Amino acid sequence: MKKINLIFISLILAVSSTIAIAGDWSKIRIGTEGAYEPWNFTDSAGNIVGAEIDLANDLCKRMNAECTFVQQDWDGIIPALTQGKYDVIMAGMSVTDERKKTISFSKAYMTEPARFFTLNSSPLSTFSSAKNLNLDDDGSATAGTISSLNNALKGAKLGVTVATIHEDFANTYLDTDLKIYPTQDEMNLDLAAGRIDAMLCDVGTAEAFMGTAGGANVVTFGPNVFGGPLGEGVGAGIRQSDKELKAMFDQAIADAAADGTITKISMQWFGKDLAP
Amino acid sequence: MLEAISFGDTGWGDEMLMGAFWTVAVSISSILLGLVIGIIFAGFKLSSIKVLNLIAEFYTTIIRGVPELLVIYLLFFGGGGAVMYVAKIFGYYGYIELQPFVIGTLAVGAISGAYSTEVIRGAVNAIPRSQFETGSALGLKGFRLYQKIIFPQVARLALPGIGNVWQITLKDTALISVTGLVEIMRQSRIASGSTHEPFIFYTIAIVLYLIITRVSNIVFDKAETRYSRGFVKRKIT
Repeated sequence: MKKINLIFISLILAVSSTIAIAGDWSKIRIGTEGAYEPWNFTDSAGNIVGAEIDLANDLCKRMNAECTFVQQDWDGIIPALTQGKYDVIMAGMSVTDERKKTISFSKAYMTEPARFFTLNSSPLSTFSSAKNLNLDDDGSATAGTISSLNNALKGAKLGVTVATIHEDFANTYLDTDLKIYPTQDEMNLDLAAGRIDAMLCDVGTAEAFMGTAGGANVVTFGPNVFGGPLGEGVGAGIRQSDKELKAMFDQAIADAAADGTITKISMQWFGKDLAP
Repeated sequence: MLEAISFGDTGWGDEMLMGAFWTVAVSISSILLGLVIGIIFAGFKLSSIKVLNLIAEFYTTIIRGVPELLVIYLLFFGGGGAVMYVAKIFGYYGYIELQPFVIGTLAVGAISGAYSTEVIRGAVNAIPRSQFETGSALGLKGFRLYQKIIFPQVARLALPGIGNVWQITLKDTALISVTGLVEIMRQSRIASGSTHEPFIFYTIAIVLYLIITRVSNIVFDKAETRYSRGFVKRKIT
């Protein structure tokens, strides 16, 4: 059979091949975009760097695997995985149900949670609660945080943007009065003008607004909200057939989260803790 | 700004130039492949054999009627899948990667070939019947007839059209960034995503494309002049 392979391969001009033996994960190829600072990007010397690159190197050490990075344009990053160009995607990719139809994901290694925002003159700005609200956790702490949030928000008008995971969350868990906006920008303006008491959105977009003159009086309050309808965060995309590899990543990510490695990498690249 | 154009490890100048090199490399190999395809399929279209007419018609209709990006997706993802499928029949279960350069050249070449086919067919049709008859009367047959009499005239008539195909081909190479080949477009996307300076890097990309276009225009003008020796340049007066 080997001979036929050789003939076959030499027939096709300039074809390079790599043999991936199922179940042998001593070598793992990681596909990334290399153009999404600070998650994964290229420095001016042409090296791939970023938070996910540091994390991948750490995870590979835990899995005793030798990892190589493959750069792939964001367009076609999932088809290239299913076809076998690489074994894992680590490219700032959020775990969503839509993507889960095609590929599977490891547990999330980083999350950019949703948070509440208000003006610094509002009584809500002094509201204190648990640091995190994980909606996948059914424990009493979760229910307690939700009910204290509902108490604080009683009578308040809360802004969310339309057809988002945040609107889903507010509809499911909160009984406050909602005002639904078509875009984040309009919601930002109304919050600054005092037409709503608070807004719920991604941390990143709100922080961008807080950096501008119009958003100088905006502050955050309440817990980091994630899980449930808000999704699981950013995870490693893996072919659905590679269950063993997924288990290896889940274990390595859990270990890296537990010993503070993910927090360390996150602080270094993002200036804040995105550990799950 | 200086970082965007300086060379070495601290700047993006060398990376951008490398991108320009790959753009030119893919464009040239694609247009050459396209010309070979074009000559063969123009022959098919002009042939008196019905089956060959149909094959050529099918090819040019499909390629010219479908978005270029789709052809590239089909060859890149479908092509790799097809090769691996055949390999499996032979008992090889590994991953076979088609080189992005090869797949990009095949895809863009197939596209430019369809346009070249029509340009060459039109040019051959524009040559008066009497030229073929005179050639035969001089005792030239088959390949010699084409080499000595027809081809030099086809070249003159086809060059302006091929110049157009070249420009289309050059711009189509921007689409093969999906295959992972780091040409101008992909390089600018990497650089702008990594530095958050899209304006600077896409401007550099524009300048690079314009330089390549300008230089190739000069080459095509020279070629046109050469193949038009003995003809008066007609101007509308």
